[in-house]
Amino acid sequence: MAAEAAVAQRRVPFNRRIMLFLAVLGPGLITASVDNDAGGITTYSVAGATWGYDLLWTLIPITVALIVVQEMSARMGVITGKGLSDLIRENFGVRVTFWMSIALIVANLGNVVAEFAGVAASLQIFGVPVWLSVPAAAVAVWLLVLKGTYRSVEKFFLVASVFYVAYPVTLFFAKPDWGEIGTALVVPHLHSDGAYVAMLIGMVGTTIAPWMQFYLQAAVVEKGIKPEQYGMSRLDVIAGCVVTDVVAFAIVVACAATLHVAGVRVETAGQAAMALEPLAGRHASWLFAFGLFNASFFAAAILPLSTAYFVCEAFGWESGVDRKYGEARQFYWLYTSILVIGAAVVLWPRLPLVPIMLVSQVLNGMLLPFVLVFMLLLINKEKLMGQWRNGRWFNGVAWITTAVMIMLTVYLVAIGVRDLLA
Amino acid sequence: MAETAPQGETAADPRFRFLSSIVGRPVRGSDGARLGTLTDLVVATGEQYPPVESLVLTGRGGRRQYQWSSVERFGDRGLTLKAGAVASTPPEQPLADRIPLVEEILDKQIVDVHDAKLVRVNDLHFLELKGQLRVAHVDVGLRGLIRRMGWEPFVDRTLRLVRPGAPYLKADHLVSWKLVQPLDQSAGKVRLEVAQRLLATLHPADLAEIMEDLGRDQRTVLLGRLDVETAAEALEEASSELAAQLLEEVPPEKAADILEEMAPDEAADVLSDLPGDTRDEVLAAMERPEAREVEALLAYPQDTAGGLMTPDRIQLAPERTVADAIGELRRRDEELPLVYEIFVADAGGRLLGICTLRDLVLHEPATRLGAIMREAPATLGVHDRLREVAAAAAKYNLVSVPVIDEAGVLQGMVTVDDILGEVLDGR
Repeated sequence: MAAEAAVAQRRVPFNRRIMLFLAVLGPGLITASVDNDAGGITTYSVAGATWGYDLLWTLIPITVALIVVQEMSARMGVITGKGLSDLIRENFGVRVTFWMSIALIVANLGNVVAEFAGVAASLQIFGVPVWLSVPAAAVAVWLLVLKGTYRSVEKFFLVASVFYVAYPVTLFFAKPDWGEIGTALVVPHLHSDGAYVAMLIGMVGTTIAPWMQFYLQAAVVEKGIKPEQYGMSRLDVIAGCVVTDVVAFAIVVACAATLHVAGVRVETAGQAAMALEPLAGRHASWLFAFGLFNASFFAAAILPLSTAYFVCEAFGWESGVDRKYGEARQFYWLYTSILVIGAAVVLWPRLPLVPIMLVSQVLNGMLLPFVLVFMLLLINKEKLMGQWRNGRWFNGVAWITTAVMIMLTVYLVAIGVRDLLA
Repeated sequence: MAETAPQGETAADPRFRFLSSIVGRPVRGSDGARLGTLTDLVVATGEQYPPVESLVLTGRGGRRQYQWSSVERFGDRGLTLKAGAVASTPPEQPLADRIPLVEEILDKQIVDVHDAKLVRVNDLHFLELKGQLRVAHVDVGLRGLIRRMGWEPFVDRTLRLVRPGAPYLKADHLVSWKLVQPLDQSAGKVRLEVAQRLLATLHPADLAEIMEDLGRDQRTVLLGRLDVETAAEALEEASSELAAQLLEEVPPEKAADILEEMAPDEAADVLSDLPGDTRDEVLAAMERPEAREVEALLAYPQDTAGGLMTPDRIQLAPERTVADAIGELRRRDEELPLVYEIFVADAGGRLLGICTLRDLVLHEPATRLGAIMREAPATLGVHDRLREVAAAAAKYNLVSVPVIDEAGVLQGMVTVDDILGEVLDGR
């Protein structure tokens, strides 16, 4: 190991060494960053503004669940060298794959709509009108992904994930009471209120989303991480999960310390950013809005692309931005349609965005149990994983996590459907 | 719903059947009692279109295997076995030269050797002849997907109404079984002769692209199927990261053999991407002259003239003639990269000038090189950066730019294909 490092130092220039370092730390960190997308930031802002610190305690169990699930995705990617949709197709056949792909496309389409709504809301705070910001963002994403090379796009994503630091910095302006926060983190504050329970489940649902498992596994495979390097990869995943929840923590606290204390109620992240201005100053508001823009744009770049990849991979269609249009028609059509529909929905005048978000949330919730169960079945297959199957103890934890996630999402789907019908 | 008897009744022979229309159907004993559901068919791979040798069913007692010869009759409604059919336990791992089709082929990625690309198997197509089922094609098209979904009759009827001329109605996307390379590890024992031979005829760039798309284990399997020369050519076309990953998976001796066949500059790139101890092991296993060449290149960073150059070149003394130069070109054609310029140097290796192929063609065979050579329009130092290398080649329209050390001794040349590759990568 030491000899290897010495050789690397002699041969590889400094800036490339940094890139190599980031290459190992890539998949977990990028997945985690995209996890705090527009939907996530909205949920955390509303949670903080409405319930103050009362939901903070959920972040620790959420982090544990996130690590349990993501670790399995990364491990499967490293050991099998195949993506999740690939494995599902090979082990569960065409029908399962087909319905899963449909659900994934529709759920992710909903997520993309949320991202563009986030782009619109955040740029409005800087005075950019919606009719300009949304098409410009869509075109920028399209060009970035189709005209850039894989390496340049990945560098861009890594840089974008650094900007999440905007949220912890916002905390500095919010001047929270750290003693109170410390207690709130470890002592659960339970309310029997239905809205509180719904908020709690919303936080879990937005943190552990179906598409992430596909994305993380694909990214690990793309990196070509080998079983010997798995220890590193696991650290990357754990670090990513922790970073995700530190950012979530910062958002909840920033909103709780300002909006909740002042009694301001918000429904979206954009409103939260605006409401911050009189309470924590213009800089806090701008930072918050910038963070929202970065997160939304980042996720809008990744979601349509990864959805197109997973579907094409499962059906054996050629995919990848380095293919010509004639070679990978399905891939380009899927990618472009998801992007265009996602942006167009936001631009549609007087379109009811809230029900659309609810549908997306319900679909994500319906898909998640299947994805988790498939993952558990796959990771316990001896033929696939050999000695890397779940140990008995870990398997217990994983099944319990899955069972809890399933119960919560069933509840979430139920209230989502109820609200949609109301 | 036609039922065909394997023996005797030949009215419907020969006919085609899809795997999806057989698997999942009930299997009955001679007394009509249901034994289970058909879950797999096993073929032996000796023949070009291999016959189904046995069937696997899953019933209350778990998985059981029967010889195909014990099938009394079969059709769309399922199979009936002969009286006294003997069940055996299917092996945990498939035997050598046997492929369980559902387990190893269906839904998996395979290499379509004819179109040089990776495809996913949606269905398998059998020829039914005298009670034997032989694998004829794999179905990799949309129609196969729709058939697996169980929507074929519905989609066909609708399309015939809406658009009778639709290409979908006629176009089954079938790939002949003999052109197919399965890539699963256990199928790695299998030899599919024709496809194996054809693999070596694929363009190295296509092979490299297929490898980029494959999972890690599968690309190792594919690499194992290639002879050393083809493997070297394919790895030259692949990214050096991928090539390094692949070589780490094979024994150092095999890696060394492949690297020896590669152009030294490409081999050096790959070696520099290997972890230190693996690199030393592989270098130790390489033949001395090749290893020394590559080691010299490894001393330079990848994006400098030294890292980009290949030591392979034609270098002759000024007293030698045009005929000598052409003879040298013919003799070393195999090992040389892109050649357009040949280099004239003195006994100490100092570069005196260059001759182009055009010069060699235009002058009498007996002309001395010293008389027709011209000064090299540009030379590079080993530490020159990629930008300067690219600028020199572009400015003077050079196919290969000579690289010299401080004393003016020729070290090698950088060819334009390597410059292009590097410039495109770093875009």
